[in-house]
Amino acid sequence: MRKRTTALAAGGVIAMLALAGCSGGGNGSPAAADVDLSNVDYSGSVSVITRYAGNYESFFQEMKSAYEAEHPGVTVELQQESDQGYKDKIKTLTASQSLPDVYFTWPGNYAEQFYDNGVALDLTDVIGPDTEWGQTMAPSAIGALTKDGRTYGIPFGLDAKFMVYNEKLFQQAGVEVPTDLDGLLKACDTLSAAGITPMSFGNVDGWPAIHFMTQLNSYDVPADVLAADYKPDTATWDDPGYVEALEQFSDIIDRCTTTGSGANGSDYYSQRDAFGAGQAAMFYVENLEFGATVPEGSVAANDGWGIFKLPAASDAQGDLGALTGAPDGFLINPKAKNLPLAVDFMKFVTDKANATALTAELGIPSPVKDSLTDENSTPQLRESIDVLQDANSLSIWLDTVTVPDVADAYLSGVQGLISGDRSAQDVMDAVKAASEQAKG
Amino acid sequence: MSEGVIVGQENRLELTRASSTAGARERTGGASPRIRRRRPRWSGLVWVLPGLVVLFLFVYYPLVLNFGYSFQQSNIFTGEQTFVGADNYVKLAGDPIFWRALGNNVLYAGISIVFQVFLALVLAAIIESLRSHRWRAVLRSVYFIPSAMSLTVIGLLFTFIYQPDGGLLNGVLGALGLDSLQQAWLGDPKTAMTAIIMMSQWQGFGYSALLFAVAIQRIPQEIYEAAALDGIGPFRRIFSITIPLVREMTALMMIVTLSGAFQVFNEVMVTTGGGPDNSTQVLGTWLYRSGFVKNDFGYAAAIAVVMFVITLALAIAQVVYANRRRV
Repeated sequence: MRKRTTALAAGGVIAMLALAGCSGGGNGSPAAADVDLSNVDYSGSVSVITRYAGNYESFFQEMKSAYEAEHPGVTVELQQESDQGYKDKIKTLTASQSLPDVYFTWPGNYAEQFYDNGVALDLTDVIGPDTEWGQTMAPSAIGALTKDGRTYGIPFGLDAKFMVYNEKLFQQAGVEVPTDLDGLLKACDTLSAAGITPMSFGNVDGWPAIHFMTQLNSYDVPADVLAADYKPDTATWDDPGYVEALEQFSDIIDRCTTTGSGANGSDYYSQRDAFGAGQAAMFYVENLEFGATVPEGSVAANDGWGIFKLPAASDAQGDLGALTGAPDGFLINPKAKNLPLAVDFMKFVTDKANATALTAELGIPSPVKDSLTDENSTPQLRESIDVLQDANSLSIWLDTVTVPDVADAYLSGVQGLISGDRSAQDVMDAVKAASEQAKG
Repeated sequence: MSEGVIVGQENRLELTRASSTAGARERTGGASPRIRRRRPRWSGLVWVLPGLVVLFLFVYYPLVLNFGYSFQQSNIFTGEQTFVGADNYVKLAGDPIFWRALGNNVLYAGISIVFQVFLALVLAAIIESLRSHRWRAVLRSVYFIPSAMSLTVIGLLFTFIYQPDGGLLNGVLGALGLDSLQQAWLGDPKTAMTAIIMMSQWQGFGYSALLFAVAIQRIPQEIYEAAALDGIGPFRRIFSITIPLVREMTALMMIVTLSGAFQVFNEVMVTTGGGPDNSTQVLGTWLYRSGFVKNDFGYAAAIAVVMFVITLALAIAQVVYANRRRV
């Protein structure tokens, strides 16, 4: 079994390369000049792959059924994968030149890999900020999937990171919502003294820590420096703010969590459940997970809960108005047999009625304007979107905004920081080395 | 063994009868209406050809291609490939995570030899020395059951066992008053790899023990009876009779275990994914991460070549040993 799996993994690489070797390529994405959405041929099929398997898969299933019912000549071939499963599968599909017509993406460097290599359709003419469709979307969401003035992605969900807190536990310990980092750390000390676990945190997958680092880097490093470091050609990663951000994160782990240096062995979802069960006073979570974090009838729901932005250090040098978050999006494969149909399907998925249903059913806020209502969302979700709209900028996840080598160095380095095997400076040295290597 | 010989003799007798009948028909001018023409020797190849084609296409051809790719840099998005000479191998030699991964594979192999060869052999010998046939069968099944479970299920199970907060292992240690030994087993780079290896031993131990049990059952009972008559105790019988007489199986198991240790992948992926801080990377997971996460498929191909060379060497050792020791 073991042998077979490894052989398959190695074989996968080989097969992908073999198939990739058979095809041509090019740089720069083709434009959607011939996509006329007023004259779509509603016949044939459109293949779609998402990362919404599991709890979230019902929405796209419903979209498939509804679209097929509306257009009887069309078949939607839908594949849904888990978060990690998607990351694996999309690479295989890309390498074998078998990308589906419509495929999911995270913004940042992750999406740019597809734009830059010509496997994502330039959609500026259909969903750019000045188009009729583009006007229905939050401009920041369109902006996150735009590069050099060209829009490539169709925003689907608005995702941002917030600290959720248990109002009853805060009240018990006599703690107020902190407004700066020092206040957060003092609140943790007070909660601990009252016998309450201040914050639940699990980092076995690495990315939960990276979400903290995304926000802290935005606070501690000037925005222009950060932007330059996110581009492989101009990256230096030598601003002292990066080390400060890591040290601040280390303080949060030491003073706010009980998992502490063992957090790498603790599962994110177990820790999320611990907050819902009223076993911790705070948890750092994406707003699209609010429903799963505080389910109806849970202890935290009965105790009452609120949200706040991860607070910044009072002397931070970066953008204090930045918020960690980014829209999930979809790209269109320029080689789709029926390009207008592929684009039309996503236009259907993101129309206002379906966007409203997305929030109502799954709690995922949509980038479609006015899709969030009192009827389909909780006050906390609406508050999160207000904060998001007021944010100076959205800080895209550190592990998707940077090149894979840098993201990998950050992921493993921060795990080493948590376990106490690496200092903040060690982590940044590894990030710099990875960045230099990525420059080739 | 002896049954096989008898069957073989019967087959030969049947063949002799058949050929003599055919010879008689030839001598009588081929009067029989059911004359069988002798098929050309190569006709058997027709039947194995599809299998050979599939094997060549999906095993040998990609294997050869992989050697080529290890000398290239590939862009999976465009399919462009650039020849970079031995760059991937130079990078590999200077990559500390590659060496750590190789070291983890060696550690995995070492511990596996202890558990899945020596301890499994001792366990099998103890089980087979039990008088009760029923208990022997029950214990064989009990130890074998983990091997029948999916590694993904086992990985999830052990993730809960190893949880720092509320995990079974830390709970047991706490109940025994051994709080100082409580760890974040999978979260600490110092304990994570050993924790994964021990999980793997728990799973594979029973399977090895079962194979040894089969080998032990083939030892003639007369030898044990003679030893018992000579006053040799059960403990010494294990070391003086059982272990020497299953040495072929022991050697085979060592080679299979070693070879498997260099191909380990699932155990790590379902528990730590190679973390924390790359402390549990093995060659298989580092290959995967280099290719599928970092898009460096040329480098991944170079790691695959190293894995191939190591496992091929072990496979050759296995074949050579089997040929020399064949009974």
